[in-house]
Amino acid sequence: MSHLDTTDDTQMTAAWMGWYRFSRNPAAIIGAAIVISVLVMAALAPWITPFPDHVGSVVDFRNRHAPPSAVNWMGTDKAGRDIFSRTVFGFRVSLLLVFGVLVISVPVGAVLGMCAGYFGGWAEKIITGLTNVMLAMPPLVMALAIGNVLEPTLINAMFAITLLWWTWHARLVYRVTVSVANEDFIEAARLAGAGPVHILFREILPNCIAVISVKTTLDAAFVILFGATLSFLGFGVKPPTPDLGSMVADGRQFLPEKWWEVLAPGFAIFYATLGFNLLGDGLRDMFDVEA
Amino acid sequence: MTLLDVNGLNMSFSGYGRTRQVLHDVSFSVGASERVALIGETGSGKSVTAKAILGTLPGNASVDGGSIAFDGLDLFRQSMADREKLKGTAFSIIMQDPLSSFNPVFRIGQHLDDVMYYADRRRGEVSSAAERKARIHDTLRKVQLADAGRVYNAWPFELSGGMRQRVLIALALLHRPRMLIADEPGTALDVTTQDEILRLINRLVAEEGLSLLMITHNLGVVRQTADRVLVMRHGKIVEQGPLAQVFDAPQEQYTRDLMAAVPPLYGPQVVDQPVSHKTPMITLQGVKKVYAKRGLFNRGEGHLAVDDINITVNEGEIFGLAGESGSGKTTVARMMMGLLSQTEGMIAVTGAPAEGAQRLSQIVYQNPGTSLNPKRTVAQTLSVPLARTEVPADRQARMEELLTLVRLPVSYLSKYPHELSGGQKQRVAIARALAAKPRLIILDEPTSALDVSVQKTVIDLLLELRESLGLTYVIISHDLSLMRNFCSRIAIMLKGEIVEQGTPAEVFAEARHPYTRALISAIPVLTAEEQALKPSVTEEERARFLVTSGGGQAAPQATGTE
Amino acid sequence: MGRQIIEGILRRTASVLLVLFVLSLMIFVLARVVPGDPARMALGPSATAEQVADLQAEMGLDQPIIVQYGRYMGNALRGDLGESLVTNRSVTADIADFLPATLELVLVTVFLVFLISVPLGVLTARYRDRWIDNAGRFFSLFGVTIPSFLFAVGLQLLAGSFFPDWPILGRVDYQLNAPDGPTGLLLVDSLVHGRFDVFVDALQHLAFPALALAMAGIGQITRITRSAMIENLRKDHVLTLRSFGVPERVVVFRYLLKLSSIAPLTIMGLEFASLIGNAFVVEMVFGWGGFASYGLTAILQKDLNALMAVVLISGLFFIFANLLVDLALSLIDPRLRLRGQSA
Repeated sequence: MSHLDTTDDTQMTAAWMGWYRFSRNPAAIIGAAIVISVLVMAALAPWITPFPDHVGSVVDFRNRHAPPSAVNWMGTDKAGRDIFSRTVFGFRVSLLLVFGVLVISVPVGAVLGMCAGYFGGWAEKIITGLTNVMLAMPPLVMALAIGNVLEPTLINAMFAITLLWWTWHARLVYRVTVSVANEDFIEAARLAGAGPVHILFREILPNCIAVISVKTTLDAAFVILFGATLSFLGFGVKPPTPDLGSMVADGRQFLPEKWWEVLAPGFAIFYATLGFNLLGDGLRDMFDVEA
Repeated sequence: MTLLDVNGLNMSFSGYGRTRQVLHDVSFSVGASERVALIGETGSGKSVTAKAILGTLPGNASVDGGSIAFDGLDLFRQSMADREKLKGTAFSIIMQDPLSSFNPVFRIGQHLDDVMYYADRRRGEVSSAAERKARIHDTLRKVQLADAGRVYNAWPFELSGGMRQRVLIALALLHRPRMLIADEPGTALDVTTQDEILRLINRLVAEEGLSLLMITHNLGVVRQTADRVLVMRHGKIVEQGPLAQVFDAPQEQYTRDLMAAVPPLYGPQVVDQPVSHKTPMITLQGVKKVYAKRGLFNRGEGHLAVDDINITVNEGEIFGLAGESGSGKTTVARMMMGLLSQTEGMIAVTGAPAEGAQRLSQIVYQNPGTSLNPKRTVAQTLSVPLARTEVPADRQARMEELLTLVRLPVSYLSKYPHELSGGQKQRVAIARALAAKPRLIILDEPTSALDVSVQKTVIDLLLELRESLGLTYVIISHDLSLMRNFCSRIAIMLKGEIVEQGTPAEVFAEARHPYTRALISAIPVLTAEEQALKPSVTEEERARFLVTSGGGQAAPQATGTE
Repeated sequence: MGRQIIEGILRRTASVLLVLFVLSLMIFVLARVVPGDPARMALGPSATAEQVADLQAEMGLDQPIIVQYGRYMGNALRGDLGESLVTNRSVTADIADFLPATLELVLVTVFLVFLISVPLGVLTARYRDRWIDNAGRFFSLFGVTIPSFLFAVGLQLLAGSFFPDWPILGRVDYQLNAPDGPTGLLLVDSLVHGRFDVFVDALQHLAFPALALAMAGIGQITRITRSAMIENLRKDHVLTLRSFGVPERVVVFRYLLKLSSIAPLTIMGLEFASLIGNAFVVEMVFGWGGFASYGLTAILQKDLNALMAVVLISGLFFIFANLLVDLALSLIDPRLRLRGQSA
């Protein structure tokens, strides 16, 4: 009678269903294209911008506050520097910030979240308690305070953001771990002789990967946004290095007449965060997870 | 006279760029006051058929041909508004799975009142709130919910599963429909509660002269509640006829297979497993377990899970722990494995682990969907126990050997759980348990998540493995007909205590405790002969152990949230 | 049942106190390791070393940090938050002056967020994949992708170009002589005093800052409401009601809306911290003389007492908002109220 006990051949694999959802989702495809374009622009900035030397301390007062033209596509700023070139270079700072923050906070948050969720007891109390404290703190205020105690530089901003950021990942991974930790397969692995390292990294972690990757993608957008806000308030890279948030802050003084000075950096922030958000949403639909 | 006439119905579902036909040329009819059962396993299309009649199909379903007529009215030709009018008044559905059938943030009464209010309005009747409430209370009493006022004001989570199922029946009866469609009623409930629900439905159908379309996978239920039977498989009706004809002389091989897969309770087909008199492996003496309550004011209090348990499991036997949900059988099994410690009493493990094994016992869980890690292949799953029992060079060979043992192709090593059927997953879970070289395996409801035909193949496999590997089993189950044929000794548990212990033959022939008799008599069986052999239960005993309506305490499984 | 409620309240209060304690200790330690001596900064570069040492002793800076913290908290509990180095006034008095402005802005913002995003979330879920869904999703994506300062700058640009008369700086026109007290919230005070001209003017001033601040929340909450609705639409209880012909609008707007408000309320509570953070930027751009502007100045000027107070009060804001959310959730969900747990 084993003919009754077979897999249905019309059954679709989860991978196929995920890919189908992703590929039929124009928003996700657009998001991926935007993210790739941002990465390419940042990487190739010196070769694709018309005035790569305007990133440095170039001053061209004859040409200051020039409106968009064939030469300066997005106009020039108060020092006569080409805004388009500086904006493209601005992506570099944003992406550096994203990389610096996420490369530390994601693994740290994931590991601590798993430990809290799996071991329970004191580990759980301390880690969830710490995340609760961090949540109560406006991240921007915290970053400003830390940044100010030290020096208002990009590295310190990165440090400040990282200090807060891991808590979000820890919370998320904690939630997934708690739901997974009580599943029978964890107990079965324990009964089969598996140790805690095996259970955390081989049994639980694979179940968190989808959630983590969605959250990380959405986070990239948020870090860009957050970094721009910080540099808008004066906590950014040292001038003259271009940085999208401080470019908006500089241009703001000349509004509304010199509107182009905020247009390009403002749009660039929107463009990059939009890309990561669309991609993250697409991945979320693809993996069918809550993150 | 024909009330419902389904003719040449073809339907398909589309999704992910593919279309899949789910119903092939389905034709049947239900007469006035006739009881028809639609039998089928998972994916047979039985629930889709019900939804097509009701008009609650999901958006990705399409009707490709055929018709459904109710009392001569072609349903597919009706306007949306006209079809809405039929809901609850011409035919009603008794929903399955009472756990999530009510919105958790609205009272039971609110659901009932809204259903009644809008049905009245569609029929152009005006009703006052007080008058609706009176009618709802009447209906609740009709489904044996004596304390109608309390049920009306209760939140869904405050009622037990059996009570919620009764409210769902009341919902179906509110507007005196001419036909009831019952979709696996009571399947999620304990066998005694399910029995009560089926009796209730039967009585209501008889009293009000209703037609009944009973959708179920349980052949025993069919015998109790149908005059005529339709057998469905892969979206086709493969056999139909009067109950006696189909059950006594099934024409199709599939029907015969289904019947053969149901373990007999009485009669010549019953298997008696030999009793083992070898040395004891695990002995429990006067074992008691109290779960401590957490909280500031609850220190020292607790919930008494099991009390005064005396069990000896001998080497080579199949020991069964039977009981309904909340009876404490799982607690006992977990204490045997050393996963829980007892509060009082003694647990002596006298069996030694096999050579090279870390533990004496392993476990096979109820739900193969959650007992295998979805992100790990079969080979990865098996490698965990093998890392402790085999040297690296032998692991691959041992994996292949294990898969062969559980009758799976060796190529399945690279598959992920979602690529396997439920029965195949359960075989992998068995292979994982075997890989750790246990001498004792705890089987926690090993078949209850599987279709009936698959259940039998898994049970047969377990029996073979015990024979060839010399294993000892402890099985936890609520399914007494399975345990009758599978166990060499059984213990019946009620509210944390063992009320009866012995060989299945003894227990089923002359059960001493009234609860055991009530439990056995509630099991749906396939033949009238078996029905006649069941122990008799007096109404007084039934009232003591079965009837939960009215002021019954919510059972633990019923208070779980979605 | 009653016991569980009391226990829940006790547990929550304990955890609130713990959060406040750790938070304040963290900030305190952080503030004290500032490179740059607060006493030196207060006195200026011309002060002698002796003067600096005297002031250090007077401020207690020569004591161990835990003693300093203990004294600070002791004073704080009596309502004394020290003196601001910038305004040379008591920080408590400063906060009392600046807080109502921010409170008004935040309250109106939260109101705007729910007013716009809950109906939008329900509509986009109900008409999933139709044009209204696509438009709503695009709009909410705008909210989450554009930083508040860009919204603020953009709205100012918009006003400057198209509505030159619309006020874009401050809370109210000073020529109007806005009435004082009793709440400090201009919208309330003006009505109390019967000054409708002030009310309208204050509302005009509020419109753009509140909108700029609300956009992030609107984007977030719309998305959460939509996904909660979509998930709940799949539940069995929806099928129950549909099977008996309860109209779709009742199923969606009565049954599902209540159930689906649990997730957005929870998220709103969590997002409150970043709302306060964004208020710092929005207040700066719109010259809104509030608590956040005060905080920003305190941070930039290393005004430690003011900074401590700002951080503590931001934390209190968050905690209080979340207590309100918990209260609302237990009103909505009987499982929380009666059993102390949720699904």
